[in-house]
Amino acid sequence: MSDTTTTMTRKASVPVPRPVGRRRLWVKAATLLVILSWCLFPFLWLVMTSLKLGDRALNSPDLFQGPFGLANYRNVFEQDFHLNLRNSLAVATMTTLICITVGSLAAYALARLPLKRRLILLTGVLAVSLFPPVALVPPLYEVWRSIGLLNKWEGLYLPYTAFELPLTIFILTTFYAAIPKELEEAAKVDGATPFQAFYKVVFPLAAPGVFAAGIIIFVAAWNEFLLASTFAPRNPEIAQTVPVAIAAFTGQVEFQRPIGTITAACVVVVIPMVVVALLFQRRIVAGLTAGSVKG
Amino acid sequence: MRKSTRWLVVGGASALIVAACTPAGDDGGGETAGGELVWAIGGAEAQPGGVHQQVAELWNEENPETPIRIELLPEAADQQREQQALELQSEGSGFDVLGMDVIWTGEYAENGWLESLEDVRDEIEEASIPGAFESATWGGELWAAPYNTNAGLLYYRSDLVDTPPTTWDQLCQTATQGSGEIGGFIGQGAQYEGFVVNWLEYYWSAGGELFNDDQSEVLFDTDIAARATQFMADAISDGCYAPGFNTAQEEEARNEFQQGNAMFMRNWPYVYSLIEQDTASPANGNFDIAPLPTFDGDGTISALGGFNNAVSAFSDNIDAAKDFVTWAATNEEAQSMLATEGSVPPTMASVYDQLADDPVMSLLGEILPDAKPRPPAPSWNEISVEMQRALFPAVNGQTDIQEAVEQVRSALEGAVE
Amino acid sequence: MTRVRPATADETRSDVAPPRRRGSGLSERALARVFVAPSLILMALVALFPVLYAVVLSLFEYTRRERQGFAGLGNYVAALSDDRFWSALWFTIVFTVTSVAAEFVIGLGFALLMNQTFRGRGITRAAILIPWVIPTVIAAQMWFFMFNVTPGFINSVFGLGDFNWLGQPGWATFAIVFADVWKTAPFVALLLLAGLQTIPVEITESAMVDGAGRWQRLWYITLPLLRPAILVALLFRTVDALRVYDLVAVMTGGAFDTESLSVLVQQYVVRTPDPGYGSALSTLTFILILGIGLVFVRALGRDIAIGRTEGAR
Repeated sequence: MSDTTTTMTRKASVPVPRPVGRRRLWVKAATLLVILSWCLFPFLWLVMTSLKLGDRALNSPDLFQGPFGLANYRNVFEQDFHLNLRNSLAVATMTTLICITVGSLAAYALARLPLKRRLILLTGVLAVSLFPPVALVPPLYEVWRSIGLLNKWEGLYLPYTAFELPLTIFILTTFYAAIPKELEEAAKVDGATPFQAFYKVVFPLAAPGVFAAGIIIFVAAWNEFLLASTFAPRNPEIAQTVPVAIAAFTGQVEFQRPIGTITAACVVVVIPMVVVALLFQRRIVAGLTAGSVKG
Repeated sequence: MRKSTRWLVVGGASALIVAACTPAGDDGGGETAGGELVWAIGGAEAQPGGVHQQVAELWNEENPETPIRIELLPEAADQQREQQALELQSEGSGFDVLGMDVIWTGEYAENGWLESLEDVRDEIEEASIPGAFESATWGGELWAAPYNTNAGLLYYRSDLVDTPPTTWDQLCQTATQGSGEIGGFIGQGAQYEGFVVNWLEYYWSAGGELFNDDQSEVLFDTDIAARATQFMADAISDGCYAPGFNTAQEEEARNEFQQGNAMFMRNWPYVYSLIEQDTASPANGNFDIAPLPTFDGDGTISALGGFNNAVSAFSDNIDAAKDFVTWAATNEEAQSMLATEGSVPPTMASVYDQLADDPVMSLLGEILPDAKPRPPAPSWNEISVEMQRALFPAVNGQTDIQEAVEQVRSALEGAVE
Repeated sequence: MTRVRPATADETRSDVAPPRRRGSGLSERALARVFVAPSLILMALVALFPVLYAVVLSLFEYTRRERQGFAGLGNYVAALSDDRFWSALWFTIVFTVTSVAAEFVIGLGFALLMNQTFRGRGITRAAILIPWVIPTVIAAQMWFFMFNVTPGFINSVFGLGDFNWLGQPGWATFAIVFADVWKTAPFVALLLLAGLQTIPVEITESAMVDGAGRWQRLWYITLPLLRPAILVALLFRTVDALRVYDLVAVMTGGAFDTESLSVLVQQYVVRTPDPGYGSALSTLTFILILGIGLVFVRALGRDIAIGRTEGAR
């Protein structure tokens, strides 16, 4: 049994550090720099543009063309953007929580328990999310309208959950399946029910997958536009979410696209997302030492 | 393990709290208290502080028993149409007055979404510009009340061009004679509705027509169409058009001109005040407006844009809504407020006499009598898409022009059946 | 074992359930059904019925929004004989293959990097995730702004003058692929990173001890063990790429041969509504995507079965 314990220490597969030459270090640093610029350069553009004032600056190809100021950010919050943030946060959180709980159960069943026609189920689960969403909107709108789910958080996070479940189930099934059965057998020998075996043994060990799925669902629900713009198109004080609000920003006059306000809103939105991402990514990588296996 | 149990409990509890705390408020249907009217209109001017809000307030002062409030729709016309269509398709009573783009009249009327305004036709017809009035009719009936309008203007750099050109050929000559440091002409050349608007301005100014008065007959002339298309294609390849022409919508065109990268621009009147305010722009203080050129130099033709107000057939307050839309179209104070407070061109012809001081409004006063609306047919969306798909590649040199105009002709004929 | 054991000291831990009766609880089979039920019900209620509704709609003929009568497969025949459908299909496939391939390679590189311990790894990981968390509507506008010849941001940074990226066929496709790769490579990286965590250290270590170089380790050990995560990532990226809409609509509007299947569907459902034809196009798209997805699912299904029995020996 001790073999299993050691095998399942949750440390990542990090290569043993060995003495590296200076050239190695430079190459690594250079690669890092390239990767960071690739990811961050457009974001730098977003930040710089959000700080610019006036048509000349906003439409100039020069990043550092002033004048600069915070007027765009003031504009954003004058339009009740904080309410949109609240709405998006609520909807995305609910979606993630429900998806993970409900999806975990299904994934565990698919990975472990005897289930006939596993493949067909997997395909069915996948098929649900494949239909072009734009064609599903008219019938869904009718039903939502008659049930009274328009302009409500539930009206958003319920369909989001339904459409994100396939991906969740796929990811979690993959990760649950990777955990050796012996651990659960050990737990069951000690008297755990299948539910406890799942909850105490499999779930913690599959933590990287669970958190990866969690952040994926969160971001997908946060950025979803089509259903949100149909079911909660206006009214930030009720349920309008962030992407819909941003798409609805107007300039001073007709036709004008307020690129300054849009980029400012984007920066405001990205910061909490990055915080969430940082929190989750530590869970994905740090790993939890196996406390579930009786030593 | 205790730690993650606690974590889960906290998570579950907060989920319950979150679920219980969905803010209450009006549902999507919108309860109208008493005689309150809901005006579904979008765009910058419909925001708090915008001119449409001021018009609403003016009505509310004079009509306290049937106040109107604005339900703010997004800026983009497509999104406005989608949101209105969703409500109207389910026959909801959430909207009483609809702010419709001029090209939607036929579609909405055909779907039975609008209340006919035949009984107030005379009043409205007397007051409105003919082109705007035409855009509010379909099948011989009046379905909407004109509210505000828009027409294409030629903007030009007065420091580089002494007299504005009166023919398209003159324009391209001037444009290509420059040193090449500054681009020539920028318009709306991306593949969207604006492209059709620009193309129609060339086609109409060459003498072409699309349909007869009630859209029962196709009057499309393929030779004229080929001439207009050829002109545009040559302008792209000769460099008369600035490099960004085929991906430009209104804002991109404005930016080209405002940043000093184009000598001429075709755009709506909204640009005027923006350039005037932008002191850092090379065009500021150095530009002027003129009517669009034609092919033979006589007169001018511009495509009409703008919004009409219509009454939803499913409204609970049809009479009050009808009064409002008639009032908004025929009340002098409201209509002149559009021009003075919001720089939005009004549809009431008599208002332009008082606006002679304003350069934009006085030019519009000259142009609007000849401005043509796009056909208000219900199939206009389909026609427009077909025209884009046929003419855009032709203008960009990818397909044969003769074939393209034939395609447009068959699309038009298909729509008439 | 089904016998009930007397409670021992260990089992007085507070988080153990009251006396379990192994035999009289739910059998594993029934339990499986119970576990799967909530998901199935939720998905069936919300996602299944609109799909059926759309499929039924596709069997009727419409003129704009008015129903004209039963059309059987008429809409499908019309769609399949329309050149426009095939061009959209071609573009969608080209887009999918190029962008998913690029995303995989780049995502794998990111994942391997994010897996390392080095100073500033937290920040690097956050930085890598930023492209993906930006809302798509904004990212699309941003890339339009950068590629478009006005104001010409990319042109001025690389000194390209007036190069019309979005205004010519070929380069317009490139711009859209580039934007998509930038935006979603982090998604692939995230999945692969999580997958890397399930590879026990001992295996890599023993390989190193045996003298395997970096590339050999990657090719012969890491990648095979990463197969399930790779398949999931590829599956979902592929089905998403086949449905690309926002980037195309905002950056080019479908001009210059960049019209994707979703843009075509969107036109017939929203812009020039024809419920019958639009639903037929949607169903065709759906069948195509499902078919391609099935290929991945079969490969994945095998992996899951193998994964269960072998574990991490």
